[in-house]
Amino acid sequence: MAVRVNHKLIDELEHYGAQDVVKCYHCGNCSAACPFSKEPFIFPRRSMRHLQMGLEARLKANLEPWLCYYCGECSEQCPRGAEPGETMMSMRRWLTAKYDFSGISRLFYRSGKIEVLAVFLLAILTGLGLLWYGFNFGGKSLSVYHGDGAFLPSSAIHIFDWSMAGVLTLFLSINCIRMWWFTMMGERGPKFRLWPYIKHIFLLPIHFITQKRYAQCSRKRPWFLHLMLMLSYVTMFVLIMFFLRDMQTGPEIDWNVHTFGYIATAGLLIAVIFAIQGRIRKTEPYHVHSHETDWIFLILLLIITVTGIGQHVLHRMGMYEAANITYIVHLMGVVPMLVLEVPFSKWAHLAYRPLAMYFAAIQTDAITVPEKQPVMAPGTQLAFSGSRR
Amino acid sequence: MTGKNKIAVYIHHDGNGSHGGVDFQAVAEYAKGISNVARVQLFTEGKKLDPPALADDFQKSGFTRIVIGGTSPGYFKPAFTRAMAEAGADPDEVRLASFKEFGASLEGQTERAKAILACAVYGVPFGLAAVPENLPVNPATLIIGGGIAGIQAALEIADSGHKVHLVERLGTIGGHMAMFDKTFPTLDCAACILTPKMVAVGQHPNIDLMVYSEIQEVTGRPGEYRVNVLKRATRVDPKACVACNTCAEVCPVSVPSEFDVGISNRKAIYIPFPQAVPNSYLIDAETCLYIQSEGKKCGACLKKCAKEAIRFDEKDQTVELQVGNIIVATGYDTFDAHRIERYGYGVLPNVLTSLEFERLTNASGPTGGKIVMKTKKYNKRTKTDEWVFDSEGPQPKAVAIIHCVGSRDQNYNSYCSRVCCMYSLKFGHLVREKLPDAICYEYYIDMRAFGKGYEDFFERVKDEGVFVIRGRSANITERDGQMIVKGEDIIADTVVEIPVDMVLLAVGLQPTADAAHLASMIGIDRVQDGWYQEMEYNVEPTSTDRGGVFVAGVCQGPKDIPDTVAQASAVAAKVLKSIVSGKAIGSRERLTLIDIEQRAAALANK
Repeated sequence: MAVRVNHKLIDELEHYGAQDVVKCYHCGNCSAACPFSKEPFIFPRRSMRHLQMGLEARLKANLEPWLCYYCGECSEQCPRGAEPGETMMSMRRWLTAKYDFSGISRLFYRSGKIEVLAVFLLAILTGLGLLWYGFNFGGKSLSVYHGDGAFLPSSAIHIFDWSMAGVLTLFLSINCIRMWWFTMMGERGPKFRLWPYIKHIFLLPIHFITQKRYAQCSRKRPWFLHLMLMLSYVTMFVLIMFFLRDMQTGPEIDWNVHTFGYIATAGLLIAVIFAIQGRIRKTEPYHVHSHETDWIFLILLLIITVTGIGQHVLHRMGMYEAANITYIVHLMGVVPMLVLEVPFSKWAHLAYRPLAMYFAAIQTDAITVPEKQPVMAPGTQLAFSGSRR
Repeated sequence: MTGKNKIAVYIHHDGNGSHGGVDFQAVAEYAKGISNVARVQLFTEGKKLDPPALADDFQKSGFTRIVIGGTSPGYFKPAFTRAMAEAGADPDEVRLASFKEFGASLEGQTERAKAILACAVYGVPFGLAAVPENLPVNPATLIIGGGIAGIQAALEIADSGHKVHLVERLGTIGGHMAMFDKTFPTLDCAACILTPKMVAVGQHPNIDLMVYSEIQEVTGRPGEYRVNVLKRATRVDPKACVACNTCAEVCPVSVPSEFDVGISNRKAIYIPFPQAVPNSYLIDAETCLYIQSEGKKCGACLKKCAKEAIRFDEKDQTVELQVGNIIVATGYDTFDAHRIERYGYGVLPNVLTSLEFERLTNASGPTGGKIVMKTKKYNKRTKTDEWVFDSEGPQPKAVAIIHCVGSRDQNYNSYCSRVCCMYSLKFGHLVREKLPDAICYEYYIDMRAFGKGYEDFFERVKDEGVFVIRGRSANITERDGQMIVKGEDIIADTVVEIPVDMVLLAVGLQPTADAAHLASMIGIDRVQDGWYQEMEYNVEPTSTDRGGVFVAGVCQGPKDIPDTVAQASAVAAKVLKSIVSGKAIGSRERLTLIDIEQRAAALANK
């Protein structure tokens, strides 16, 4: 089938952060420098080429951006300043927008202003809704924080949490199915067989929890911080989804859950501060370029962490009114974060990355014989066949 | 020019002002003040030109001439020409004011840019308006640099009967070309072409050869320069020395040889290479035991020299030369491969630079032209293991050649060094010729076989069984004593790791370390990459803005041997024109903006 060329694709990607793709002259330094670039996934140069040529269908079916962890080695060595690492990052943004059925993601990525506006609107709606609920159905008094008469009873918040989680999971699942359809069921995808899908299913939890692939980058610090952020967040998520009642008792501290809570909070705070500091200092190649959405995400996360700590401290100090207000502000951050970032923006990668690793393993399985052999003298090793000895 | 002219000036700038230091705003302000200029407009590349819309505009405004100014405005000319034609005006009246072409691209050259623009507004070629005054000339010529460019220019001028002073920093003339084994694409022996010319220089009655010397000061004006040359003491009388090598045999000092770029050793008293001109030994004062100990130690050579040619008491001296014209032919340095750590130069013993390989494969090199790998040898004096070339050493079974090392890379030198593709292909040929069983890989980004016969040479080398891989390799690692080159094979679209025994880095060319110093001493400009700035890129590639100062060879920009020789001969013609006519051309930089503008106006009104 003929290849369709979208000559505006490269301009479109500019909105997602890829400014310098045209500079690439295809020396192949990046693909050879990348520790992850192995058959059949040779990147980032091939993707750069497809971008320059406007091969939208190929790029939409492309798993490679998700296999890149942006250590920045390629951008650092790039002789042209074509920023292959940032291009891969931009393609992740673009793919997130493509996977999203609602079009909201595209809107956010193309305009930071709209995303900020949406965050603000949702935050204000959340705040008003919680106040309305508290005064009409909850404890009706801001001076009660915990127990049955609390302004925002944990039982009610718990139900709210679960219903929100349900809706978000639905959105994200639809997007994940679209990702599977684009990457695995397209004309260049492997023939569908059930066995590989079953055989590699263990990759999903492994990559989700350990992020062991990230650890293969030559720089270890980003992996460590990212892992810390992720594990802290998962801990917090589990605490809130299953143990919210125990978190909200007081004034005494339930150490069974709070021990985990404190560790997770510390993890979140440290990771967020390091991330913001890195993006301001710009000393590492992966921090040089920051898209608007990166800042929105980090600032939201910082607000959530700080207000989360604040409501806890105020609660234990017995300043219940202040604690209740801080808690409402905290939720005003949490709701937009979860509703907007998880299915439609940066955080969608929590699902797409492990899925991509899983799909990549299935695709690699499907290729029994390498399609193309370079004309090489004996003794030559293709990089994917592992180490020489 | 009639009063009816109505002129629009468009000045292109790239928005961020990063290219050069010309103040486009100031140029625009100046343009508004030139008579008949009805409009001045700055524009950037971001703004797409729309010829039909421009045509409407031109017709309404009734412009008779459009001037496009900018660093390289020729790019926009078609759009304006079309617009003028559509507007019913004369499409030939689109004039270019190319700042780059006429040497206004650096900071502080805004006045020049204004003058270029003024000439375009008056419709007078810049070269015609910016003609400096003529001055009387001293027929003697100074040539700085004794490489192939300096040798060629010196012979051309001296053969026509005029005095030439040839100053060379090292102990022999010949430059880089003397180090080469073969020339591409003809595969002639470099020494066989060069040494007769070197000897001719050494014996020429009109050439005053000053080796081991450096320029210290340049004063005076075009046609009458006074140059102070520091003649460093060689401490061997060249007239007495017969180059019998007895002194070097007894000298106990052993240091890396400059001529062999460190792959072999020389003594403290040495001759750079056997065919050196002048064919005389010299003493390296910094390593000579006798000089360092102030005569207390050694002195072995002094005792052994049968001709009594050694003069330990010889002192450096300064010579003042009076010359009319100066030719700068200082050549280049090669890129320092240590800077790219991932190629392992200096760490992995068998990663060599191109010059090292030239010496290795050269019949006069340390292995007699045999291509061998380095072997580990115990050095008794330093008590360490050293990697050295031994002609009995093992031969490599696989050789990788990596192109564009330090060139076309914005982290190092962003320009193309022009010669590396071809000399790398030559290396491929030499490897296959000398070691028919060895496999040779060439990693390239783009193959720049641009010259006469070069493409044929490329095809020939491929036919000889050299594997050419499109893709610059990223790194060289060592695994279990085996070097592995990792790179992407772009055409096969895969990453390959190739085990090799020897890697040759095709290092690029860059301006010499003291190029800036020399430029400021003589008073010539350098372009952003550091090469000397010629007067006009297209039509005056050998002159500079300083009258009576000319450039030849690589110091003006990377070029290969044929181009260097051609440019050196062209320079000689320029100098001879000056000598024969008895007139030195003054410096264009001394012309003021008003001078040029007035002359342009006068020419336009003729």
